[in-house]
Amino acid sequence: MPVTAETIIQSLASGLLMGLLYGLIAVGLALIFGLMDVVNFAHGEFLMIAMYATFFLFAFFAIDPLLSAPLVAAALFVFGAVVYLLIVRFAVRAKANAGMVQIFSTFGLAIVMRGLAQYFFTPDYRSVTHSWLGGKTVSVAGIFLPVPQLVGALVAIAAFGGLYLFINRTDFGRALEATREDAGAVALVGIDKNKVFALGWGLGAALVGLSGAIMAIFFYVYPDVGASFALIAYVTVALGGFGSVFGAFAGGIIVGLVEATTALLLPPSLKAVGIYAVYLLVVFVRPRGLFGSM
Amino acid sequence: MNITRRNVLLGATAAAALGPIAARAQTSEVVIGVIYPFSGASAQMGVDAQKSFETALDIINKNHDFDLPLAKGEGLPGLGGAKIRLVFADHQADPQKGRAETERLITQEKVCAVIGTYQSAVAVTVSQICERYQIPFISADNSSPSLHRRGLKFYFRAAPHDEMFSAAMFNFFDAMKKKGAKIDTLSLFHEDTIFGTDSANTQLKLAADRGYKIATDIKYRSNSPSLSAEVQQLKTANADVLMPSSYTTDGILLVKTMAELGYKPNAIVAQDAGFSEKALYDAVGDKLEGVISRGSFSLDLAAKRPMVGKVNAMFKEKSGKDFNDLTSRQFMGLLVMAEAINRAKSTDGEKIREALVATDIPGEQTIMPWKRVKFDEMGQNNDADPVLLQYIGGKFVTIFPPQAAIAEAVWPMK
Repeated sequence: MPVTAETIIQSLASGLLMGLLYGLIAVGLALIFGLMDVVNFAHGEFLMIAMYATFFLFAFFAIDPLLSAPLVAAALFVFGAVVYLLIVRFAVRAKANAGMVQIFSTFGLAIVMRGLAQYFFTPDYRSVTHSWLGGKTVSVAGIFLPVPQLVGALVAIAAFGGLYLFINRTDFGRALEATREDAGAVALVGIDKNKVFALGWGLGAALVGLSGAIMAIFFYVYPDVGASFALIAYVTVALGGFGSVFGAFAGGIIVGLVEATTALLLPPSLKAVGIYAVYLLVVFVRPRGLFGSM
Repeated sequence: MNITRRNVLLGATAAAALGPIAARAQTSEVVIGVIYPFSGASAQMGVDAQKSFETALDIINKNHDFDLPLAKGEGLPGLGGAKIRLVFADHQADPQKGRAETERLITQEKVCAVIGTYQSAVAVTVSQICERYQIPFISADNSSPSLHRRGLKFYFRAAPHDEMFSAAMFNFFDAMKKKGAKIDTLSLFHEDTIFGTDSANTQLKLAADRGYKIATDIKYRSNSPSLSAEVQQLKTANADVLMPSSYTTDGILLVKTMAELGYKPNAIVAQDAGFSEKALYDAVGDKLEGVISRGSFSLDLAAKRPMVGKVNAMFKEKSGKDFNDLTSRQFMGLLVMAEAINRAKSTDGEKIREALVATDIPGEQTIMPWKRVKFDEMGQNNDADPVLLQYIGGKFVTIFPPQAAIAEAVWPMK
């Protein structure tokens, strides 16, 4: 293929838009990890149910994904908090093999969620066939910017900004930060650790819920849809630095850009190679990730 | 219950007493293994396949008045009216799981034949295991040409492979060019497993033989989260025809991304798979008016052979869908296997293999536009004529070859 200035700019633009979305998906994962050192292996399945929720709100009530996004995010908030209170809370209490118990509790949850989705929703591929944004494209000087991804990118930036303000400017945010630094000490000043953790899980899930709602506009939905995005999210979090919300967001953008650039330079079937090569390089040079502090 | 020596003895005696009954009971039942993806990204294919096999099972095991093998009367007359029982196994689109599950079907479930698999990549390992245990395998809906060229004795395919399908496409291009259509350059877009790779290799060879220029040949990673870079390259190449070989998920994403990046090809001629799936047309059908896909089944045939419509109605009742290229081939796969077992009058692998080698079913006794079912020394049926179908007004009509066509092709697409 001839590599022209136009194809390069188009690839970078597509990569940036996709990267912001990857970042939004990864931020929730990083938030939970940063808060309590637990990796949510069901993160992709959270994304999947958010996409299904968006799809069903569209299919049964004709609610546009743009309108249902806040509803889905709110529902996922509750879901995330419930998952913490019913499962994770007990998993982290395990006396023996605590790490394994945590891994298998969320990993098991992922398999159960996938199985239930396949049972109740069938494995068929669903799709939001028409929406306010779907299929629309803005063209600037020959560069095409798909509206769904463009709005997704704006939502990602807004959500990240909101999260940043929430963590830094509110009492709850400060409690979150304090709990993250020393969960034992905050108990002494009367902060309920469980409440803060539940809030963290709720927030993390709400963010991935938001991503799912936006993605339902341009992606297909099926029980396994979370798997490929979750893998990218784990790499993104590790690349950006475990526990760093900012790192996850920056990591997402890097992953999106690297993916697009690799597809330009190498055969597209190898585009994931670029992501993992950069990841390995970062881990090699800076094992805690780009913005990791631990 | 506590396990005591007495209980063990009692159990053993009971088992020994029941043994002969079990042995006798086996002859009234013929067990066939069906191996498909029932979970993972292609789970819907397995679910649809199951409905298709159950439709064929119904036709074999119950009395129907169709001119299909084993439709009349119940069960297999050659085995004293024995009924067929299917055991379904899930390979999750993973060749290694396919290998393990096939082994389980043969050693634990004692199946006498195996049918599969949707993904050609999985058919490779499944057929190897069947070969080792001397259990006949019918590749119901795998289309990779390399599958039957490995010298396996227990491998059979009643349906066309991609060289036959692709040849039909190029015959169609030649015919359209004679009528004045501009078809000089082609863009290939294919996924990176054996299905996409074999399909592209065949198309590359045919293009070279017949003087078509390949504008771009894009091999992409299946189930990618994004295809925008790939579509960007297709758009830059802007060939006269886009030829995708993709499964359903990628097909949906491809078409959506094409719309987003403002790429409208003159024509799309697809290598079936995702492009014969209802889910794809439900999702993006509005963007696919005029798309052409190869196939080995067309509901048009019901006009000539009314039983095709009736069998389709049976399938639709179970699945809520019409037969498509995949489910029709799966249906025929079981009928062909059962017909051979019936003639073999045995569930012995070698005897069934011999019966399969001797198979000769006329096209009128199938639901397909095939001349007949007769296997060559490689186990391939070369008389399975493919057709090209065009998606017009929300359904597929047969446009090629001329003897099967019921409508003229709309070219370019829009």
